[in-house]
Amino acid sequence: MKYTNLDKKNKFTSSSVGRDALLTILILAAATAISFGFFYIVPENSANIALTYITAIVLTARFTNRYVYGIIASLVSVVGINYLFTYPFFQVNFTLTGYPVTFLFTLTISLIVSAMTTQIKQQGDILVEREKLLMDAEKEKMRANLLRSVSHDLRTPLTGIIGSSSVYIDNYHSLSEEEKLNLVSHIREDSNWLLNMVENLLSVTRISENSMKIATSMESVEEVVAEAMSRFQKRFPNAHVKVQVPEDFLMIPMDAILIEQVIINLLENAIIHSCSRLPIELTVSYSSRQVAFCVKDYGIGISPDKLDTIFDGSCYDPKGSADGYRGMGIGLSICKTIITAHNGTIIAENHAGGCQFIFTLPREDEHE
Amino acid sequence: MSKTKLGKNNILLIEDEESIRSFISTTLKNQNYKITTASDGSSGLHLAASLCPDIILLDLGLPDMDGMEVIKKIREWTAVPIIVISARSNEHEKARALDSGADDYITKPFSTVELLARIRTSLRHSSQMHDLTSTSQKPYHHGNLTINFDDHVVMLDGTNIHLTQIEYKLLTLLAKSSGKVLTYTFIMEKIWGPYTDNNNQILRVNMANIRRKIEKNPATPEHVFTEIGIGYRMAEGD
Repeated sequence: MKYTNLDKKNKFTSSSVGRDALLTILILAAATAISFGFFYIVPENSANIALTYITAIVLTARFTNRYVYGIIASLVSVVGINYLFTYPFFQVNFTLTGYPVTFLFTLTISLIVSAMTTQIKQQGDILVEREKLLMDAEKEKMRANLLRSVSHDLRTPLTGIIGSSSVYIDNYHSLSEEEKLNLVSHIREDSNWLLNMVENLLSVTRISENSMKIATSMESVEEVVAEAMSRFQKRFPNAHVKVQVPEDFLMIPMDAILIEQVIINLLENAIIHSCSRLPIELTVSYSSRQVAFCVKDYGIGISPDKLDTIFDGSCYDPKGSADGYRGMGIGLSICKTIITAHNGTIIAENHAGGCQFIFTLPREDEHE
Repeated sequence: MSKTKLGKNNILLIEDEESIRSFISTTLKNQNYKITTASDGSSGLHLAASLCPDIILLDLGLPDMDGMEVIKKIREWTAVPIIVISARSNEHEKARALDSGADDYITKPFSTVELLARIRTSLRHSSQMHDLTSTSQKPYHHGNLTINFDDHVVMLDGTNIHLTQIEYKLLTLLAKSSGKVLTYTFIMEKIWGPYTDNNNQILRVNMANIRRKIEKNPATPEHVFTEIGIGYRMAEGD
């Protein structure tokens, strides 16, 4: 079964067959030329000539796509050595003393080498294939994970919105003004949360599905930070954030909308999960190679067993369902996706008084 | 705040989503505007021609025609302010709408406060257009910043601050359209002339210098705001 599979893969186009044949001829011609050189300089040592041809056979097997070229090369070499380099010259003569043995050994070595190289190449192909299947499976798993946590995360606020609005409509006349206001503010809060979620998901669509690459342009670091801050303040007017950007003006390649999203996610994460009212710090620093953004809170920190998997998107906790949908599983995994697509790095770590998230972006576009 | 002139202003809303139409209409009626709605581009164009509204709110995603088309058609015969309503993620579309004649944009979802502020700004600018004859301009005040256009003086907390020629031109350009977003293309053309290249790095650098002179913290500006991928907006004067 495996064989048919490979056979299918080995159906090469006529141009690749032509390429392989040409390559075989070229390699053999080169070997012949080199052998003539040896033959004129040291005519008595024919071992060099045999070795040259064997090298040619190995090379042929290595660089062509099918068994048959290696075999053809072996046959041509054995006959060629006999015809060109053994007495009587320019005649095929197998009656030479000991020559049948030489002939057999050369042919055997050539066949084995050629078969081995081809096999190694096929195994390599199989490995690549298997790797790709594994990666696809991994992607599929990630997608399923994401879908699962998204549906979970969406259902909770939606239940709240539908519930609150139904209560409002069904009991319109019996509710007090205060109760009504309360219901509507819950609806607003939940919708805002939903909106944030949808924006996060939408931002992922800006990353090209296959290449995981994004369209970057040169953006001013301070402007991106400032816009992220103003969007964040709109959602959390009471949050206290100390922001510091370098005195020097920096422009680096990025997709500004995505980086804004990362900054907002990290700030929101700090507000919601630090369980602390101490101000959050957002600091930008830089070196000659990269720019680092650090979001630092002074809260309860992250439990060490979660640190490793915090960006996986799988760390939402089904047990903490009462407040579960405030979990940042998706937000952080999206941060990771965005930063990776920028060729940057993102880490989470605890410090003495809380935790910090640091992401870096390269200053130069690596493609240029 | 100053009351808008002439009592009721006429507003035309072109938007296909029923729920958004209803919430905008309710808000604007409560604020004493007279509002007419259209649910698609062609009826919107008809209403724009027959009603001569003071301001048009236009959703870019219409069922029958591209919002950009609507802007161009309206601009063929009137300079009525157009405020574009658009979704967040598409900054190129917003810039394109502004460059093809829209006056301002507002991003979905927006608060009623934001919407009303944009409407007031656009109305104020369109009424200013009518008395361009007056040579002197009222100074711009916002927070601790004052710009005196007649004397070419920029003051921060009462002290004179030094700006280069270009920086001053940039700042006054933004201040004269305060509250409105100005696109990179527009600013580049106004300051550096129509044939500058597309690279707006020079603009960003100058804005960074201005920020360092007039903002306490460049990362949390109070006077000049960045609209990433689109341009800059100066806070509306007090």
